[in-house]
Amino acid sequence: MSDPAPLIRARGIRRSYAVGDRTLEILHGVDLDLYPGERLCLMGASGTGKTTLLNILGLLDRPTAGSVHIEGRDGWSLSVAERAELRNQRMGYVFQFYHLFAELNAVENAVLPAMIHHGAMAYMSHRKEYRDRALDLLTRFGLAERLKHRPGKLSGGEQQRVAIARALLLNPPILIADEPTGNLDRATGEKVLELLFAEQERRGLGLLLVTHDDSLAERCDRVIYMEDGLIRGQRVLRSVGGSTDSPELPSGEATAPA
Amino acid sequence: MYRFFLSQRYIRMRPINWIGTLSIFVAVSALILILAIMSGFLEKSREHLRGHLSDLVIAPSFDIPLNSNGQTPPRAAGPILEAVRAHPSVQAAAAQMVWFGMLVPPRGETVLSDPSGMGMVMVSFVGVDIPDEYGATSLRKDLEIKVENGLPGQRPENLDDPFAYPKDYERDPDERPLDCILMGERLAANWGLRKGDQVELATATLDPDTGSFRQAANRTVVLAGTYRSTFNEMDLSRIYMKREALADWLGRHGQYSQLVVKLRDYERDWVQTKADLRQELGQRGLIHPSPKTYTPGDFGWEIQTWEDSRHSMLAAIENERALLGIMLGLVLLVAGFGVFAILSMMVSEKRRDIGILSALGATPKGILTLFLSIGGLEALVGAFLGVVMGVYAAHNINDFELWLSSTFGIQIFDRKVYYFDHIPTVIEWGGIVLIAVAAVGTALVAAAIPALRAAYLNPVDALRYE
Repeated sequence: MSDPAPLIRARGIRRSYAVGDRTLEILHGVDLDLYPGERLCLMGASGTGKTTLLNILGLLDRPTAGSVHIEGRDGWSLSVAERAELRNQRMGYVFQFYHLFAELNAVENAVLPAMIHHGAMAYMSHRKEYRDRALDLLTRFGLAERLKHRPGKLSGGEQQRVAIARALLLNPPILIADEPTGNLDRATGEKVLELLFAEQERRGLGLLLVTHDDSLAERCDRVIYMEDGLIRGQRVLRSVGGSTDSPELPSGEATAPA
Repeated sequence: MYRFFLSQRYIRMRPINWIGTLSIFVAVSALILILAIMSGFLEKSREHLRGHLSDLVIAPSFDIPLNSNGQTPPRAAGPILEAVRAHPSVQAAAAQMVWFGMLVPPRGETVLSDPSGMGMVMVSFVGVDIPDEYGATSLRKDLEIKVENGLPGQRPENLDDPFAYPKDYERDPDERPLDCILMGERLAANWGLRKGDQVELATATLDPDTGSFRQAANRTVVLAGTYRSTFNEMDLSRIYMKREALADWLGRHGQYSQLVVKLRDYERDWVQTKADLRQELGQRGLIHPSPKTYTPGDFGWEIQTWEDSRHSMLAAIENERALLGIMLGLVLLVAGFGVFAILSMMVSEKRRDIGILSALGATPKGILTLFLSIGGLEALVGAFLGVVMGVYAAHNINDFELWLSSTFGIQIFDRKVYYFDHIPTVIEWGGIVLIAVAAVGTALVAAAIPALRAAYLNPVDALRYE
């Protein structure tokens, strides 16, 4: 059986920064694939380059070397506008600190990706459709009573649920979550995760999750361990599509430069 | 869509953004008010400078020969008046005789207003023909003035014959009939003269044989009324009388010094008419032949427009306009800085939002437009309110000034200093539109700097910002 095409295929990702007159390399050459329906967890201590890798895979930060293909398209060889379109249509982001707009209420925050996608006229003609979609998501996330509330009037858990609704509004196939429960207490974090995983399963999304939490990692299909800018190894807990045994993704030791 | 939506939401939700609007509002309303007042003053200054001057003045040099035969321009006004009136652009023309002399105080009393302290004031006597003069100059209007500034209005009883004796003037039947004169209202007030008073004039005339000055006999005349033109200095030094009376006094019957000419449409016709008259009158030997090369606006020497005779002062007014433009530009620059400062602060505060927008798929161009829209919206609202306020203030500046002076005793406008009794304002819509457009333009340029900074912010750096 041939493997399904990966949603994200990253090869030889390096990222270095100039610090004064010397260069600091954060990522030393990372390969990674994310498949449809796969729940992939990225673990490692602070400062190992997890967030840097996530930003590169999410087309927010350009790698010093290497390539990132999103559904077969080389993300970093596209124009600025094409890359922005890819982020808008094919990826959803969930951040540790929710990152909602303080001036907008829950519904307005949730429909923002649609507003970015359309010009004023086009958006107005689809306005009801997007609002209904946002209302449906927020209601399902238990926020029916909080629709008109601004982030300042919402709890951390509620804010993160609005952020997930925003990430899912345009039905992207890829969801990138950077420590989505890192700023929440355990009970609230658990509820948010339940919701996130349920949506991921329901929609068959490829979920790329960064976490420090071992118990959270246990609930993923595959866990990749990072250390000093390299992948040190991976554990496959459940096989999903083409990621079974992940033959094209050797362990970290094999890809690490000498 | 998000650009417009977020920009108006940012402005609405963050009161500090209104500072940008406020700076544009204050600048635009202040500029409009300044422009209206300055234009008002400039227009008044122009009127004031023009004073009694007619559109064209034709003053032949009678003593310079026209040609090698030694022939000089004719001294009688008839032929030249006829020739000038025949020109289609000429509405009216009148002959004037101008001479210089003095006003002698009654019984040698000291006159407080006389700066020389000698008790005599130099004046010019202007001999005019009524009603020709009314057609060519503003004299009739100047005689129709109302009582203002506490000065007694002393208009002649019959404007069709302003040199008639006042009703209550008691003429001594044994005395030789006296001529009547009209003098400036202020000059009459300074001298404490009232309609019907006798005034003594003195002048020097030329000896026809030697060409040197000789003292002429003083002449007593009757004040028939006063006038007020818009040129204060003229009102203090011009005394009108009948041309034939002046000629009779000077012993020069039927003579004239200059023609005053009113055109049908001065702005349209002056260049052509001036050229035509120079040629026509020159050919007929009524004035000196015109030079071969003639350039419009050239001073000429026997035919002058009123602007020619006030050239240097009019140039000063134009200079003031240019200075005004520079000043207004500086005010706009300050307002633009207000927008720049507010928007720069906002871009710094909204770094995280900019990062989120990038992550959600906004392009740098979109983010640039978002922040430009904020600057543009602020400027549009500020400029609109500024225009409303500026025009309102320009219309009501006099009421405001009255209120200030009556409530707080602060006098902004000293009526004694100027020759008009209210702050003059002129609403120039062209200028107002220009100010509003310049304000919005300046705000957009000022907004472009922080907006570009926002557009090219690295989203990763922006998201890291907490």
